[in-house]
Amino acid sequence: MVNLNVDIAGVTLKNPVMPASGTYEYTGMHNSIFPPDKLGAVVTKTIFIEPREGNKPPRICETPCGMLNSIGIPTEGVDSFIKNNLPLLAGYGVPVIVSIAGDTIEDFCEIANIIEGTGKADLLELNLSCPNLNHGIEWARNKKQLYRIIKKIKESTHIPIIAKLSPSVDDISEMALIAESAGANAVALINTYKGMKIDIGKRRPFLGNTAGGLSGPAVHPLAVYAIFSTFKKISIPIVGIGGIASWKDAIEMILAGSAAVGVGMYNFVNPAVMGEVIEGIEHYLAENNFDCPADLIGLAHF
Amino acid sequence: MKPKISPIKPFYSEGRIIEQKNEYAGYLDLLIEDKVISRYGKPGQFVMVKGWHSNDPILARPFDIVQTDSANNLFRLVIKITGRGTELLNSLKTGDMLKITGPLGNPVKIKVNENIALLVRGVGAASVVYLAESAKKAGVNVYTFLSASTKSRLVCRDYLREASTDLNIATDDGSEGFHGDARDLLEQHIKKLKPDSKPGRIYTCGSKRFARFVSDLERKGLTKGYVFLESYMACGIGDCHGCAVKKKNNTGYFLVCKDGPVFPVNSVELD
Repeated sequence: MVNLNVDIAGVTLKNPVMPASGTYEYTGMHNSIFPPDKLGAVVTKTIFIEPREGNKPPRICETPCGMLNSIGIPTEGVDSFIKNNLPLLAGYGVPVIVSIAGDTIEDFCEIANIIEGTGKADLLELNLSCPNLNHGIEWARNKKQLYRIIKKIKESTHIPIIAKLSPSVDDISEMALIAESAGANAVALINTYKGMKIDIGKRRPFLGNTAGGLSGPAVHPLAVYAIFSTFKKISIPIVGIGGIASWKDAIEMILAGSAAVGVGMYNFVNPAVMGEVIEGIEHYLAENNFDCPADLIGLAHF
Repeated sequence: MKPKISPIKPFYSEGRIIEQKNEYAGYLDLLIEDKVISRYGKPGQFVMVKGWHSNDPILARPFDIVQTDSANNLFRLVIKITGRGTELLNSLKTGDMLKITGPLGNPVKIKVNENIALLVRGVGAASVVYLAESAKKAGVNVYTFLSASTKSRLVCRDYLREASTDLNIATDDGSEGFHGDARDLLEQHIKKLKPDSKPGRIYTCGSKRFARFVSDLERKGLTKGYVFLESYMACGIGDCHGCAVKKKNNTGYFLVCKDGPVFPVNSVELD
Protein backbone atom coordinates (compact mmCIF):
# COMPACT_ATOMS: atom_id res chain seq x y z
CA MET A 1 0.00 0.00 0.00
CA VAL A 2 1.33 3.40 -0.96
CA ASN A 3 1.40 6.06 1.73
CA LEU A 4 1.29 9.53 0.15
CA ASN A 5 2.25 11.43 3.33
CA VAL A 6 5.11 13.88 3.08
CA ASP A 7 6.83 16.03 5.67
CA ILE A 8 7.60 19.70 5.14
CA ALA A 9 9.38 21.39 8.03
CA GLY A 10 7.77 19.10 10.60
CA VAL A 11 4.28 19.45 9.13
CA THR A 12 2.71 16.30 7.71
CA LEU A 13 0.85 16.63 4.42
CA LYS A 14 -1.42 13.73 3.44
CA ASN A 15 -0.16 14.03 -0.12
CA PRO A 16 2.55 16.13 -1.79
CA VAL A 17 0.21 18.34 -3.87
CA MET A 18 -0.81 21.91 -3.17
CA PRO A 19 -1.83 24.89 -5.28
CA ALA A 20 0.76 27.55 -6.00
CA SER A 21 -0.19 30.74 -4.17
CA GLY A 22 -2.79 32.77 -6.06
CA THR A 23 -4.08 30.04 -8.35
CA TYR A 24 -6.88 28.46 -6.30
CA GLU A 25 -9.48 30.38 -4.30
CA TYR A 26 -11.33 28.92 -1.35
CA THR A 27 -14.75 30.26 -2.28
CA GLY A 28 -16.58 26.98 -2.74
CA MET A 29 -16.35 27.23 -6.52
CA HIS A 30 -14.16 24.12 -6.58
CA ASN A 31 -16.43 21.97 -4.43
CA SER A 32 -17.98 20.07 -7.34
CA ILE A 33 -14.66 19.75 -9.19
CA PHE A 34 -11.79 19.29 -6.74
CA PRO A 35 -12.53 20.36 -3.14
CA PRO A 36 -9.76 21.82 -0.96
CA ASP A 37 -9.94 19.10 1.71
CA LYS A 38 -8.34 16.68 -0.78
CA LEU A 39 -5.19 18.81 -1.02
CA GLY A 40 -1.90 18.11 0.71
CA ALA A 41 -2.11 21.69 2.01
CA VAL A 42 -4.12 24.80 1.34
CA VAL A 43 -2.05 27.78 0.23
CA THR A 44 -3.47 31.30 0.30
CA LYS A 45 -3.11 34.18 -2.08
CA THR A 46 -0.39 36.45 -0.67
CA ILE A 47 -1.62 38.47 2.30
CA PHE A 48 -0.47 42.03 2.98
CA ILE A 49 -1.19 44.31 5.93
CA GLU A 50 -3.54 46.48 3.87
CA PRO A 51 -6.00 45.43 1.16
CA ARG A 52 -4.77 45.77 -2.42
CA GLU A 53 -6.72 46.36 -5.64
CA GLY A 54 -4.33 44.75 -8.09
CA ASN A 55 -3.03 46.09 -11.38
CA LYS A 56 -4.94 47.66 -14.23
CA PRO A 57 -6.13 45.39 -17.05
CA PRO A 58 -5.32 43.66 -19.29
CA ARG A 59 -3.84 41.48 -16.59
CA ILE A 60 -3.22 38.28 -18.50
CA CYS A 61 -1.87 37.31 -21.85
CA GLU A 62 -1.67 33.86 -23.39
CA THR A 63 1.81 32.86 -24.63
CA PRO A 64 3.09 29.66 -26.27
CA CYS A 65 2.40 26.91 -23.69
CA GLY A 66 1.95 29.44 -20.92
CA MET A 67 0.72 32.82 -19.88
CA LEU A 68 1.95 36.13 -18.62
CA ASN A 69 0.16 37.67 -15.69
CA SER A 70 0.39 41.10 -14.17
CA ILE A 71 -2.43 40.54 -11.68
CA GLY A 72 -0.61 42.44 -8.93
CA ILE A 73 -2.06 40.41 -6.04
CA PRO A 74 -5.48 41.95 -5.36
CA THR A 75 -6.09 40.80 -1.82
CA GLU A 76 -7.85 41.58 1.39
CA GLY A 77 -5.75 42.94 4.22
CA VAL A 78 -4.53 40.74 7.04
CA ASP A 79 -7.33 41.79 9.45
CA SER A 80 -10.08 40.76 7.08
CA PHE A 81 -8.18 37.60 6.20
CA ILE A 82 -7.87 36.36 9.76
CA LYS A 83 -11.47 37.29 10.55
CA ASN A 84 -13.21 36.02 7.43
CA ASN A 85 -11.06 33.49 5.64
CA LEU A 86 -8.45 31.89 7.87
CA PRO A 87 -11.05 30.11 10.08
CA LEU A 88 -12.63 28.68 6.93
CA LEU A 89 -9.27 27.45 5.65
CA ALA A 90 -8.40 25.89 9.00
CA GLY A 91 -11.74 24.06 8.83
CA TYR A 92 -10.69 21.94 5.86
CA GLY A 93 -8.61 19.72 8.11
CA VAL A 94 -5.42 20.01 6.05
CA PRO A 95 -2.33 22.09 6.85
CA VAL A 96 -2.71 25.80 6.14
CA ILE A 97 0.12 27.64 4.39
CA VAL A 98 -0.31 31.40 4.52
CA SER A 99 1.60 33.33 1.88
CA ILE A 100 2.68 36.76 3.09
CA ALA A 101 4.45 39.81 1.70
CA GLY A 102 5.05 43.46 2.48
CA ASP A 103 6.97 46.53 1.43
CA THR A 104 9.40 46.32 4.33
CA ILE A 105 10.93 43.71 6.63
CA GLU A 106 8.82 45.18 9.41
CA ASP A 107 5.65 44.55 7.38
CA PHE A 108 6.59 40.92 6.91
CA CYS A 109 7.35 40.51 10.61
CA GLU A 110 4.11 42.20 11.65
CA ILE A 111 1.97 39.97 9.44
CA ALA A 112 3.87 36.89 10.59
CA ASN A 113 3.13 37.86 14.19
CA ILE A 114 -0.55 38.48 13.51
CA ILE A 115 -0.91 35.17 11.68
CA GLU A 116 0.97 33.33 14.42
CA GLY A 117 -1.35 34.87 16.99
CA THR A 118 -4.34 33.12 15.45
CA GLY A 119 -2.80 29.67 15.95
CA LYS A 120 -4.40 28.62 12.67
CA ALA A 121 -1.46 28.61 10.26
CA ASP A 122 0.90 25.65 9.99
CA LEU A 123 3.44 27.22 7.66
CA LEU A 124 4.21 30.69 6.34
CA GLU A 125 5.32 31.13 2.77
CA LEU A 126 7.33 34.29 2.23
CA ASN A 127 6.57 35.73 -1.17
CA LEU A 128 9.99 37.23 -1.79
CA SER A 129 9.78 37.02 -5.53
CA CYS A 130 6.62 38.48 -7.08
CA PRO A 131 7.57 40.19 -10.36
CA ASN A 132 4.41 42.29 -10.29
CA LEU A 133 5.12 44.24 -7.12
CA ASN A 134 7.24 47.39 -7.20
CA HIS A 135 10.20 45.83 -5.46
CA GLY A 136 8.66 42.39 -4.98
CA ILE A 137 11.36 40.45 -6.72
CA GLU A 138 14.26 42.30 -5.12
CA TRP A 139 14.15 40.40 -1.84
CA ALA A 140 15.06 37.24 -3.70
CA ARG A 141 17.72 38.84 -5.91
CA ASN A 142 19.92 40.51 -3.37
CA LYS A 143 21.86 38.07 -1.16
CA LYS A 144 22.23 40.38 1.82
CA GLN A 145 18.58 41.42 1.75
CA LEU A 146 17.44 37.83 1.41
CA TYR A 147 19.49 36.78 4.41
CA ARG A 148 18.36 39.73 6.50
CA ILE A 149 14.65 39.40 5.84
CA ILE A 150 14.52 35.68 6.53
CA LYS A 151 16.65 36.05 9.65
CA LYS A 152 14.39 38.81 10.99
CA ILE A 153 11.19 36.95 10.28
CA LYS A 154 12.59 33.81 11.90
CA GLU A 155 13.38 35.85 15.01
CA SER A 156 9.84 37.14 15.21
CA THR A 157 7.80 33.99 14.60
CA HIS A 158 7.81 30.33 15.58
CA ILE A 159 5.84 29.13 12.56
CA PRO A 160 8.10 27.30 10.14
CA ILE A 161 8.71 29.30 6.98
CA ILE A 162 9.00 28.51 3.31
CA ALA A 163 10.98 31.06 1.29
CA LYS A 164 9.56 31.39 -2.22
CA LEU A 165 12.41 32.33 -4.50
CA SER A 166 12.76 33.92 -7.90
CA PRO A 167 14.29 32.21 -10.92
CA SER A 168 15.39 35.62 -12.22
CA VAL A 169 18.86 35.34 -10.59
CA ASP A 170 22.26 34.08 -11.68
CA ASP A 171 22.15 30.93 -9.57
CA ILE A 172 19.02 30.08 -7.64
CA SER A 173 20.82 27.34 -5.70
CA GLU A 174 23.01 29.97 -4.06
CA MET A 175 19.94 31.94 -3.04
CA ALA A 176 18.38 28.78 -1.62
CA LEU A 177 21.55 28.14 0.37
CA ILE A 178 21.37 31.67 1.78
CA ALA A 179 17.71 31.16 2.67
CA GLU A 180 18.65 27.99 4.52
CA SER A 181 21.53 29.64 6.38
CA ALA A 182 19.19 32.44 7.46
CA GLY A 183 16.87 29.90 9.00
CA ALA A 184 14.26 29.08 6.34
CA ASN A 185 12.65 25.71 6.98
CA ALA A 186 11.95 25.06 3.29
CA VAL A 187 12.21 26.79 -0.05
CA ALA A 188 9.64 27.04 -2.84
CA LEU A 189 11.16 27.00 -6.32
CA ILE A 190 10.17 28.81 -8.54
CA ASN A 191 8.10 31.95 -8.82
CA THR A 192 7.29 33.26 -12.31
CA TYR A 193 9.83 34.64 -14.78
CA LYS A 194 9.49 38.29 -15.61
CA GLY A 195 8.47 38.77 -19.23
CA MET A 196 6.36 40.87 -21.54
CA LYS A 197 4.26 40.92 -24.67
CA ILE A 198 3.97 43.79 -27.13
CA ASP A 199 0.78 44.50 -29.07
CA ILE A 200 2.19 45.09 -32.57
CA GLY A 201 -1.06 46.71 -33.73
CA LYS A 202 -1.01 49.34 -30.98
CA ARG A 203 2.79 49.24 -30.75
CA ARG A 204 2.43 49.29 -26.97
CA PRO A 205 3.00 46.76 -24.17
CA PHE A 206 0.01 44.41 -24.07
CA LEU A 207 -0.30 44.11 -20.30
CA GLY A 208 -1.73 46.99 -18.29
CA ASN A 209 1.31 46.90 -16.04
CA THR A 210 3.79 46.66 -18.98
CA ALA A 211 5.49 43.43 -17.87
CA GLY A 212 4.33 40.36 -15.99
CA GLY A 213 5.28 36.92 -14.75
CA LEU A 214 5.54 33.96 -17.12
CA SER A 215 4.17 30.63 -15.96
CA GLY A 216 2.80 27.41 -17.41
CA PRO A 217 4.29 24.36 -19.14
CA ALA A 218 6.72 26.66 -21.00
CA VAL A 219 8.71 27.14 -17.77
CA HIS A 220 8.58 23.54 -16.52
CA PRO A 221 12.03 22.45 -17.78
CA LEU A 222 13.51 25.61 -16.24
CA ALA A 223 11.86 24.83 -12.91
CA VAL A 224 13.08 21.22 -13.01
CA TYR A 225 16.63 22.44 -13.54
CA ALA A 226 16.34 25.02 -10.75
CA ILE A 227 15.27 22.26 -8.36
CA PHE A 228 17.84 19.77 -9.62
CA SER A 229 20.69 22.24 -9.24
CA THR A 230 19.58 23.23 -5.74
CA PHE A 231 18.77 19.84 -4.26
CA LYS A 232 22.27 18.73 -3.34
CA LYS A 233 23.30 22.10 -1.96
CA ILE A 234 20.70 22.35 0.78
CA SER A 235 19.28 20.06 3.41
CA ILE A 236 15.86 21.71 3.81
CA PRO A 237 12.93 20.48 1.69
CA ILE A 238 12.01 22.00 -1.66
CA VAL A 239 8.45 22.68 -2.78
CA GLY A 240 8.67 22.37 -6.55
CA ILE A 241 6.55 24.80 -8.55
CA GLY A 242 6.61 25.72 -12.23
CA GLY A 243 4.52 24.58 -15.14
CA ILE A 244 3.10 21.36 -13.73
CA ALA A 245 0.33 20.25 -16.08
CA SER A 246 0.15 16.54 -15.26
CA TRP A 247 1.27 13.91 -12.76
CA LYS A 248 4.28 13.19 -14.98
CA ASP A 249 5.49 16.76 -14.57
CA ALA A 250 5.06 16.42 -10.80
CA ILE A 251 7.05 13.16 -10.71
CA GLU A 252 9.87 14.92 -12.61
CA MET A 253 9.87 17.65 -9.97
CA ILE A 254 10.12 15.07 -7.19
CA LEU A 255 12.87 13.14 -8.95
CA ALA A 256 14.77 16.42 -9.34
CA GLY A 257 14.57 16.98 -5.60
CA SER A 258 11.15 18.34 -4.54
CA ALA A 259 9.54 17.01 -1.38
CA ALA A 260 6.17 18.44 -2.43
CA VAL A 261 4.81 20.19 -5.50
CA GLY A 262 2.72 23.25 -6.20
CA VAL A 263 0.41 23.36 -9.20
CA GLY A 264 0.00 26.88 -10.55
CA MET A 265 -1.49 28.24 -13.76
CA TYR A 266 -2.66 24.82 -14.95
CA ASN A 267 -5.42 25.04 -12.35
CA PHE A 268 -6.88 27.66 -14.68
CA VAL A 269 -6.72 25.34 -17.68
CA ASN A 270 -7.98 22.20 -15.95
CA PRO A 271 -9.60 22.84 -12.56
CA ALA A 272 -9.43 19.10 -11.83
CA VAL A 273 -5.69 18.82 -12.47
CA MET A 274 -4.55 18.61 -8.83
CA GLY A 275 -6.76 15.57 -8.24
CA GLU A 276 -5.32 13.96 -11.37
CA VAL A 277 -1.78 14.71 -10.15
CA ILE A 278 -2.42 13.10 -6.75
CA GLU A 279 -3.87 9.99 -8.37
CA GLY A 280 -1.06 9.81 -10.91
CA ILE A 281 1.63 10.04 -8.24
CA GLU A 282 -0.03 7.26 -6.25
CA HIS A 283 -0.24 5.08 -9.36
CA TYR A 284 3.37 5.70 -10.32
CA LEU A 285 4.60 4.85 -6.82
CA ALA A 286 2.56 1.64 -6.69
CA GLU A 287 3.56 0.50 -10.17
CA ASN A 288 7.22 1.08 -9.46
CA ASN A 289 7.15 -0.45 -5.97
CA PHE A 290 7.84 2.66 -3.97
CA ASP A 291 6.22 3.01 -0.55
CA CYS A 292 5.98 6.77 -0.35
CA PRO A 293 6.89 9.98 -2.23
CA ALA A 294 9.94 10.47 0.01
CA ASP A 295 11.52 7.41 -1.66
CA LEU A 296 11.53 9.32 -4.95
CA ILE A 297 12.95 12.64 -3.82
CA GLY A 298 16.06 13.51 -5.77
CA LEU A 299 16.42 10.04 -7.31
CA ALA A 300 17.47 11.57 -10.63
CA HIS A 301 20.77 12.47 -8.92
CA PHE A 302 21.79 8.95 -7.99
CA MET B 1 -39.28 33.13 4.38
CA LYS B 2 -38.28 32.09 0.89
CA PRO B 3 -35.52 29.51 0.73
CA LYS B 4 -32.29 31.01 -0.50
CA ILE B 5 -31.45 29.65 -3.94
CA SER B 6 -27.76 29.51 -4.60
CA PRO B 7 -26.56 28.96 -8.15
CA ILE B 8 -25.17 25.53 -8.93
CA LYS B 9 -21.43 25.20 -8.49
CA PRO B 10 -19.50 24.64 -11.72
CA PHE B 11 -18.45 21.23 -12.96
CA TYR B 12 -15.54 20.27 -15.19
CA SER B 13 -16.92 17.76 -17.65
CA GLU B 14 -17.07 16.69 -21.25
CA GLY B 15 -19.49 17.53 -24.02
CA ARG B 16 -19.89 16.05 -27.49
CA ILE B 17 -20.43 18.11 -30.62
CA ILE B 18 -23.76 17.10 -32.17
CA GLU B 19 -23.98 19.68 -34.91
CA GLN B 20 -21.88 22.56 -36.19
CA LYS B 21 -23.00 25.26 -38.58
CA ASN B 22 -21.32 28.24 -40.22
CA GLU B 23 -24.52 30.01 -41.17
CA TYR B 24 -22.97 33.46 -40.77
CA ALA B 25 -19.54 34.21 -42.18
CA GLY B 26 -16.95 34.22 -39.41
CA TYR B 27 -19.21 32.58 -36.83
CA LEU B 28 -19.52 29.03 -35.57
CA ASP B 29 -22.77 27.62 -34.19
CA LEU B 30 -22.20 24.54 -32.02
CA LEU B 31 -24.85 22.22 -30.62
CA ILE B 32 -23.32 20.24 -27.77
CA GLU B 33 -24.54 17.23 -25.82
CA ASP B 34 -23.71 17.20 -22.12
CA LYS B 35 -25.34 16.54 -18.78
CA VAL B 36 -24.40 19.65 -16.83
CA ILE B 37 -24.80 22.85 -18.84
CA SER B 38 -27.94 21.59 -20.58
CA ARG B 39 -29.57 21.07 -17.17
CA TYR B 40 -28.13 23.74 -14.94
CA GLY B 41 -27.05 26.58 -17.24
CA LYS B 42 -29.08 29.76 -16.73
CA PRO B 43 -29.52 32.94 -18.79
CA GLY B 44 -26.51 35.20 -18.35
CA GLN B 45 -24.17 32.35 -17.55
CA PHE B 46 -21.19 31.21 -19.56
CA VAL B 47 -18.85 28.24 -20.00
CA MET B 48 -15.11 27.80 -20.51
CA VAL B 49 -14.46 25.50 -23.47
CA LYS B 50 -11.35 23.76 -24.73
CA GLY B 51 -11.56 21.38 -27.68
CA TRP B 52 -7.93 20.44 -28.21
CA HIS B 53 -5.36 18.52 -26.14
CA SER B 54 -2.34 20.65 -26.92
CA ASN B 55 -1.03 23.28 -24.53
CA ASP B 56 -0.62 25.74 -27.36
CA PRO B 57 -2.94 27.54 -27.22
CA ILE B 58 -3.25 26.69 -23.56
CA LEU B 59 -6.33 28.42 -22.19
CA ALA B 60 -9.98 27.45 -22.55
CA ARG B 61 -12.21 30.12 -24.13
CA PRO B 62 -15.27 31.73 -22.49
CA PHE B 63 -18.64 31.73 -24.29
CA ASP B 64 -22.14 32.68 -23.20
CA ILE B 65 -24.74 29.93 -23.20
CA VAL B 66 -27.13 30.53 -26.12
CA GLN B 67 -29.78 27.85 -25.62
CA THR B 68 -30.34 24.81 -23.42
CA ASP B 69 -32.55 21.77 -23.90
CA SER B 70 -32.46 19.72 -20.70
CA ALA B 71 -34.85 17.07 -22.05
CA ASN B 72 -32.35 16.15 -24.76
CA ASN B 73 -29.13 17.05 -22.85
CA LEU B 74 -28.23 19.73 -25.37
CA PHE B 75 -26.96 23.27 -25.29
CA ARG B 76 -25.84 25.72 -27.92
CA LEU B 77 -22.93 28.14 -28.31
CA VAL B 78 -22.45 30.74 -31.02
CA ILE B 79 -18.79 31.66 -31.40
CA LYS B 80 -17.10 34.46 -33.28
CA ILE B 81 -13.96 33.10 -34.96
CA THR B 82 -11.28 35.57 -33.96
CA GLY B 83 -8.05 33.71 -33.31
CA ARG B 84 -6.27 30.40 -32.84
CA GLY B 85 -8.55 28.99 -30.14
CA THR B 86 -11.78 29.72 -31.98
CA GLU B 87 -10.23 28.53 -35.28
CA LEU B 88 -9.41 25.22 -33.59
CA LEU B 89 -13.00 24.97 -32.35
CA ASN B 90 -14.16 25.70 -35.90
CA SER B 91 -12.06 22.81 -37.22
CA LEU B 92 -13.75 20.23 -34.97
CA LYS B 93 -16.21 17.71 -36.33
CA THR B 94 -19.48 16.16 -35.22
CA GLY B 95 -18.72 13.67 -32.47
CA ASP B 96 -15.59 15.46 -31.24
CA MET B 97 -15.34 16.04 -27.50
CA LEU B 98 -14.95 19.32 -25.64
CA LYS B 99 -13.75 19.98 -22.10
CA ILE B 100 -16.23 22.29 -20.44
CA THR B 101 -16.16 24.16 -17.13
CA GLY B 102 -19.48 25.60 -16.07
CA PRO B 103 -22.05 26.88 -15.63
CA LEU B 104 -20.18 30.06 -14.62
CA GLY B 105 -21.09 33.58 -13.65
CA ASN B 106 -24.29 34.92 -12.14
CA PRO B 107 -27.63 34.15 -13.77
CA VAL B 108 -29.80 37.10 -14.79
CA LYS B 109 -32.90 37.28 -12.61
CA ILE B 110 -36.10 37.72 -14.59
CA LYS B 111 -38.81 39.85 -13.00
CA VAL B 112 -42.17 38.62 -14.23
CA ASN B 113 -43.86 42.00 -14.12
CA GLU B 114 -41.23 43.96 -15.96
CA ASN B 115 -40.82 44.05 -19.73
CA ILE B 116 -37.31 44.11 -21.13
CA ALA B 117 -35.52 45.43 -24.19
CA LEU B 118 -32.36 43.94 -25.67
CA LEU B 119 -29.98 46.11 -27.68
CA VAL B 120 -27.26 44.02 -29.26
CA ARG B 121 -24.72 44.07 -32.04
CA GLY B 122 -22.53 41.44 -33.71
CA VAL B 123 -21.65 38.46 -31.54
CA GLY B 124 -23.31 40.29 -28.62
CA ALA B 125 -26.55 38.86 -29.97
CA ALA B 126 -25.49 35.39 -28.82
CA SER B 127 -25.34 36.51 -25.19
CA VAL B 128 -29.01 37.51 -24.93
CA VAL B 129 -30.84 34.72 -26.78
CA TYR B 130 -31.23 32.61 -23.64
CA LEU B 131 -32.38 35.60 -21.61
CA ALA B 132 -34.96 36.51 -24.27
CA GLU B 133 -36.30 32.99 -24.43
CA SER B 134 -36.60 32.60 -20.65
CA ALA B 135 -38.16 36.03 -20.18
CA LYS B 136 -40.71 35.42 -22.91
CA LYS B 137 -41.62 32.06 -21.36
CA ALA B 138 -42.15 33.86 -18.05
CA GLY B 139 -44.70 36.13 -19.75
CA VAL B 140 -42.43 39.14 -20.09
CA ASN B 141 -42.53 41.21 -23.28
CA VAL B 142 -39.08 41.09 -24.91
CA TYR B 143 -38.35 43.89 -27.39
CA THR B 144 -35.15 43.04 -29.22
CA PHE B 145 -33.05 45.41 -31.33
CA LEU B 146 -30.46 43.54 -33.34
CA SER B 147 -27.80 45.47 -35.19
CA ALA B 148 -24.99 44.63 -37.61
CA SER B 149 -22.98 46.27 -40.36
CA THR B 150 -24.78 44.21 -42.98
CA LYS B 151 -27.41 41.49 -43.41
CA SER B 152 -24.95 38.57 -43.46
CA ARG B 153 -23.70 39.52 -40.00
CA LEU B 154 -27.07 39.47 -38.23
CA VAL B 155 -25.93 36.66 -35.97
CA CYS B 156 -28.61 34.71 -34.10
CA ARG B 157 -31.36 36.53 -36.02
CA ASP B 158 -33.57 33.44 -36.25
CA TYR B 159 -33.02 32.47 -32.60
CA LEU B 160 -33.87 35.99 -31.51
CA ARG B 161 -36.96 36.14 -33.71
CA GLU B 162 -38.25 33.01 -32.01
CA ALA B 163 -37.23 34.11 -28.52
CA SER B 164 -38.45 37.72 -28.65
CA THR B 165 -41.95 39.17 -28.52
CA ASP B 166 -40.82 41.63 -31.13
CA LEU B 167 -37.56 41.61 -33.13
CA ASN B 168 -36.36 44.82 -34.75
CA ILE B 169 -33.40 44.79 -37.09
CA ALA B 170 -31.06 47.63 -38.07
CA THR B 171 -28.17 47.41 -40.51
CA ASP B 172 -25.56 50.08 -41.22
CA ASP B 173 -25.95 49.59 -44.99
CA GLY B 174 -29.71 49.08 -45.03
CA SER B 175 -29.42 45.56 -46.46
CA GLU B 176 -32.02 44.39 -43.96
CA GLY B 177 -34.47 46.16 -41.65
CA PHE B 178 -33.97 49.75 -40.58
CA HIS B 179 -31.20 51.56 -42.46
CA GLY B 180 -29.23 53.17 -39.67
CA ASP B 181 -28.54 53.06 -35.97
CA ALA B 182 -30.36 50.59 -33.73
CA ARG B 183 -30.34 53.18 -30.95
CA ASP B 184 -32.63 55.42 -33.00
CA LEU B 185 -34.82 52.46 -33.77
CA LEU B 186 -35.08 51.61 -30.08
CA GLU B 187 -35.94 55.17 -29.09
CA GLN B 188 -38.63 55.47 -31.78
CA HIS B 189 -40.09 52.17 -30.77
CA ILE B 190 -40.23 52.85 -27.06
CA LYS B 191 -41.93 56.20 -27.65
CA LYS B 192 -44.79 54.38 -29.34
CA LEU B 193 -45.35 51.97 -26.44
CA LYS B 194 -47.99 52.62 -23.79
CA PRO B 195 -46.46 53.56 -20.42
CA ASP B 196 -47.37 50.25 -18.81
CA SER B 197 -45.76 48.19 -21.56
CA LYS B 198 -42.48 50.13 -21.77
CA PRO B 199 -39.38 48.11 -20.84
CA GLY B 200 -38.25 48.46 -17.23
CA ARG B 201 -34.82 47.13 -18.07
CA ILE B 202 -32.57 47.25 -21.09
CA TYR B 203 -29.79 44.72 -21.58
CA THR B 204 -27.02 45.46 -24.04
CA CYS B 205 -24.09 43.52 -25.43
CA GLY B 206 -21.52 43.75 -28.20
CA SER B 207 -21.03 47.51 -28.55
CA LYS B 208 -19.50 50.14 -26.29
CA ARG B 209 -21.58 52.81 -28.04
CA PHE B 210 -24.71 50.91 -27.13
CA ALA B 211 -23.55 50.51 -23.54
CA ARG B 212 -22.97 54.26 -23.23
CA PHE B 213 -26.40 54.90 -24.74
CA VAL B 214 -28.08 52.56 -22.23
CA SER B 215 -26.10 54.23 -19.47
CA ASP B 216 -27.51 57.61 -20.57
CA LEU B 217 -31.07 56.24 -20.68
CA GLU B 218 -30.67 55.07 -17.10
CA ARG B 219 -29.23 58.41 -15.99
CA LYS B 220 -32.25 60.14 -17.52
CA GLY B 221 -34.43 57.88 -15.37
CA LEU B 222 -36.02 56.18 -18.38
CA THR B 223 -35.03 52.61 -17.61
CA LYS B 224 -32.61 50.43 -15.71
CA GLY B 225 -29.64 49.37 -17.83
CA TYR B 226 -27.43 46.28 -17.80
CA VAL B 227 -24.42 45.34 -19.86
CA PHE B 228 -23.00 41.91 -20.69
CA LEU B 229 -19.20 42.22 -20.48
CA GLU B 230 -16.44 40.06 -21.83
CA SER B 231 -12.76 40.04 -20.95
CA TYR B 232 -9.54 38.12 -21.31
CA MET B 233 -10.03 35.30 -18.85
CA ALA B 234 -7.90 32.32 -17.83
CA CYS B 235 -10.07 30.31 -15.45
CA GLY B 236 -13.66 31.64 -15.39
CA ILE B 237 -14.13 30.66 -11.75
CA GLY B 238 -12.57 33.53 -9.83
CA ASP B 239 -9.11 32.05 -9.26
CA CYS B 240 -6.91 33.95 -11.67
CA HIS B 241 -8.24 37.53 -11.19
CA GLY B 242 -7.37 38.14 -14.84
CA CYS B 243 -10.77 39.43 -16.00
CA ALA B 244 -10.76 42.66 -14.00
CA VAL B 245 -13.00 45.52 -15.10
CA LYS B 246 -12.90 48.95 -13.49
CA LYS B 247 -15.68 49.91 -11.11
CA LYS B 248 -17.30 53.30 -11.68
CA ASN B 249 -15.29 56.26 -10.37
CA ASN B 250 -12.10 54.22 -10.01
CA THR B 251 -13.21 52.52 -6.83
CA GLY B 252 -11.48 49.24 -7.59
CA TYR B 253 -12.24 46.30 -9.84
CA PHE B 254 -14.95 43.76 -10.48
CA LEU B 255 -14.13 40.36 -11.90
CA VAL B 256 -16.22 39.67 -15.01
CA CYS B 257 -16.43 35.95 -14.18
CA LYS B 258 -17.31 36.19 -10.50
CA ASP B 259 -19.17 39.48 -10.19
CA GLY B 260 -20.71 39.40 -13.71
CA PRO B 261 -20.75 38.79 -16.57
CA VAL B 262 -23.87 41.00 -16.51
CA PHE B 263 -23.42 44.32 -14.66
CA PRO B 264 -25.65 47.30 -13.92
CA VAL B 265 -24.45 49.55 -16.71
CA ASN B 266 -23.60 52.44 -14.41
CA SER B 267 -21.56 50.34 -11.98
CA VAL B 268 -18.64 49.89 -14.39
CA GLU B 269 -16.34 52.17 -16.38
CA LEU B 270 -17.21 51.79 -20.04
CA ASP B 271 -13.97 53.46 -21.27
